[in-house]
Amino acid sequence: MASFVITLPSRGNGGRGARPGFPGFVTDPRGAFNPFDHLTQAGRAAEIAAFHGALAPFDPQGEESLVAAASLLRQSRWLRVVAGFHPGVATPVYAAKVSASLQRFSGDRLDWRISVDLDPAVARAQGDFLEGADRYARAEEFLTVAKGVWSQEDYTYEGRFYQVLAGGFLSPLAGRAFPRVHLSGTSKEALALSARHADVHVFEPGDDIEAVDLPGVTYGLRLPVLARDDEDEAWRAARRLWSGGGGAADALPDPDPRTGLWAGFGPPDPGSAPGTGSSRAGLVGSFETVAAGIRGYIDRGVGAFLLEATPHIEETYRLGERLLPLLAKEGAHVR
Amino acid sequence: MSVDIYWRIGTHGDQPSLRRRVVSRGEWAPVVEGSLAPGVRDGRRDDYSYVEHMGDVARASEVSGFVGGLLPSFPNTDDPWATAATLARETTTYRFMIAFQPGFLHPVQAARMSASLQRATGGRVVYNVISGGGGPDQLWWGDKVDHDDRYARTSEFLDVLRGVWDGGPFDFEGRFYRVEGAGLPQELTGQPFPEIYFSGSSKAAIDAAGRHADYYLSWLEPFHALAEKFDQVRANSDRTPKFAVRIDVVARETEEEAWDEIRRGWDNIDPTVLRGATGDSIGWQRSQSFVTGAITGHRDLEVTPNVWGGFHLLRGGPAFGLVGSYEQVAERLDELINLGVGAFILAGVPHLEEAYRVGENVLPLLRGHDLRIDSPLLEGTSS
Repeated sequence: MASFVITLPSRGNGGRGARPGFPGFVTDPRGAFNPFDHLTQAGRAAEIAAFHGALAPFDPQGEESLVAAASLLRQSRWLRVVAGFHPGVATPVYAAKVSASLQRFSGDRLDWRISVDLDPAVARAQGDFLEGADRYARAEEFLTVAKGVWSQEDYTYEGRFYQVLAGGFLSPLAGRAFPRVHLSGTSKEALALSARHADVHVFEPGDDIEAVDLPGVTYGLRLPVLARDDEDEAWRAARRLWSGGGGAADALPDPDPRTGLWAGFGPPDPGSAPGTGSSRAGLVGSFETVAAGIRGYIDRGVGAFLLEATPHIEETYRLGERLLPLLAKEGAHVR
Repeated sequence: MSVDIYWRIGTHGDQPSLRRRVVSRGEWAPVVEGSLAPGVRDGRRDDYSYVEHMGDVARASEVSGFVGGLLPSFPNTDDPWATAATLARETTTYRFMIAFQPGFLHPVQAARMSASLQRATGGRVVYNVISGGGGPDQLWWGDKVDHDDRYARTSEFLDVLRGVWDGGPFDFEGRFYRVEGAGLPQELTGQPFPEIYFSGSSKAAIDAAGRHADYYLSWLEPFHALAEKFDQVRANSDRTPKFAVRIDVVARETEEEAWDEIRRGWDNIDPTVLRGATGDSIGWQRSQSFVTGAITGHRDLEVTPNVWGGFHLLRGGPAFGLVGSYEQVAERLDELINLGVGAFILAGVPHLEEAYRVGENVLPLLRGHDLRIDSPLLEGTSS
C-alpha cells in the first residue's frame, strides 16, 4: 500500500489563525495556550487518523520545522515526522548530530525533506547566496557528509563546501537509522542528486512522472486534496476556499479536463521551488473521486503521498476516516 | 537583583555517585551490571532513550527550585536543541540553557529555532554560547576557523541573530555571514531574546563577551582568581557585565559526611591518573596552577576552605567544586554573590537526586548580600 503523509500547519498559530475575543461577559480561559498546542494536536490527529507520517514543511514565513518535528515526535508513538529544511541552515555534521538525538528520542521516526532550489530572494534572506547548479553540488556534499559522519568512524572529507577531519559518531549516537531523505525537482541536477541520495523523490501533481527513471527511489507526490461526501458538497467547499483566498467568483478555475486537477488551492509556499505555479493544483470531489485520482497516481508509480488539506485538524480526521479506508481496501484487493 | 540558580543536565550519561567513576546511567559507556541503559528491555528494543532520564532531571530541578539547567554539547553527547525541543512541553518553568557553537548553525536558522522554541516554551530559552575549545574537536565538527577568528565569527553570528529577531528586513555583509532582506516572520517576532551566557578566558573571548554577554560564565576557581578574572572582564566591557559560575557541589548534613564522600571516591582513583593527569584546555591549565605542593591525600586539593580541586578525578568535567556541610556550601555561594556573581550553574552527582538535596538543603540557607565583602577567603590560597 502507498504511504500517506499529511502536511502540518506551519503558521497561523498552529493552523488556527487569529481567534476572535469572546464577548466580555463570557469567561475566556484561552490565555494559557500557545501555538504549539494546536500544532501538536494537528500532529496527533495524523497519528490517530492512521496517517503514516506528518510533514513539518520548511516555511521561512512560519514555525521552524526541526523544533516542530521534535515536539511532535515526543508526543506521538508511531508517526513518522518529516522535517523540511534547506542545506544552508546548518553544517551537515550539526544537522546529522541534531537528527541523531531525535532518532534516539523517537525510535528512528524522523525523516528529512530537503529543499535545494529555493526562490533566490527567500534563499538570500536565509543567508544563502548560492545559485543554480552549485546548490545541487552543495546538497550533494551535505548529504554525503551527513551520511558519512552518521555511519563511519574516523570519517574524513575534503570538499568544496565542507571539511571534516577524524569525524563520525560513536556509540550510542551511532547505529540509528539515517532519516529517510525526501528530495524534489525535475532538472537534470535534481534528478542526479535524487538518484544518489533520495529515498523518496517528491513530484508535483502536474509533473511528467513517466519521463523520470529513478530506480530504487520511492516516487512521492505533493497533493492538495478537498474531499466531501458528494461532488456538490466538495465544490461548494472549493468555491469557499477560492473566495476565502481572495479569488473573484467569476474567475473560479475549472478542473483540468485531462488530469482532473483543480488549480485553486492557493499560492505555493514561499519555500517551494520556482516554477511551482501561481496556485497549487490538487484534487477536489467526493471521497470516491479523490480516491480514484490517487489510484491513478498509484498506477503511475507513486508510492508516497504528501497530502495537504486545511483546516488541518478537522481535515486530517476527515481524510483518515473517509479517504484512507477506500485506498487501504483497494490495496488489499490488489494483493 | 535576583540570583538565577541553574542545575546542569548531563547530556552524556551520569554516574550513580562520585565513589566509582562508572557512567552507568544512560548508554554512553559500556553497559555493566546495574547500568540503567534505556532502549532494550528483556532483550527487545523498547524505544526508550536517555532523554527520559534527562526529562526526570529537568523536572527534579524545577520542582526543587532551580530556574533551569545547562545542556552541554560535545561530540559524543545528545544535542541540546533536540533535547530542549523534545522536553519543552513536559516542563513548566524550566529554562533550557542551550550550549552551542556559532558556526554550526546559520544565525538565521538559530533565530528561527530559538523563536519557535520560545513559542513552544513560553520564553524559556537561554544561550550558552561557546566559541570552541579548539584542538581535534573543532575538526570533528567540520570547523576549520581559527581560535581568534571564532570569536569574531561569534560576534557576527550574534549581530545577525539580533538583527533578524525583530523581523527585519535586515541586511548584513560580514566576513562570515551575509544576508539580504532577512528577518523572522511576523508571527515569530515579539519573543524575548534569549539571555546569553558566554565563556572563554582568552583576550578575544573577553572582548567578545564585553559586547554580547548578559552573563560572563566561568568554571569555579579559587575565589581570589575568580575576582581577578571578573575585574578583567569589567575592564574590557562597555556595559555592566554580570557573572555566572559553574560549580559542582558535594553538600551533606555535616562536613565530615561530605568529605567522607570525596574520600571514598579518592580511594578508588587509579594512582597513575593522579600522576599523569593532563588536559589540553586553557581552563584546565588554569585549574592546575592553583594546586601546589605534594598531593598525599584528598584534602591536599582543598585550596581554600571547601574549594576542592579534584572533581575531574572523580567524574568528567572541570576540577573545582565545593565540598562541605549545607551551611558551609551556602556560605561559599554567598561569598561568590558578594563578589558579583549573579547566576550559578550548580551540578552534583547523581544529578537527579542531588537536585533535590541541594534544592531542599542548600538554597534555603542562602542569605545573599549581607556578608562582609572583605572576606578573608579572597586573600590568596590558604593551603
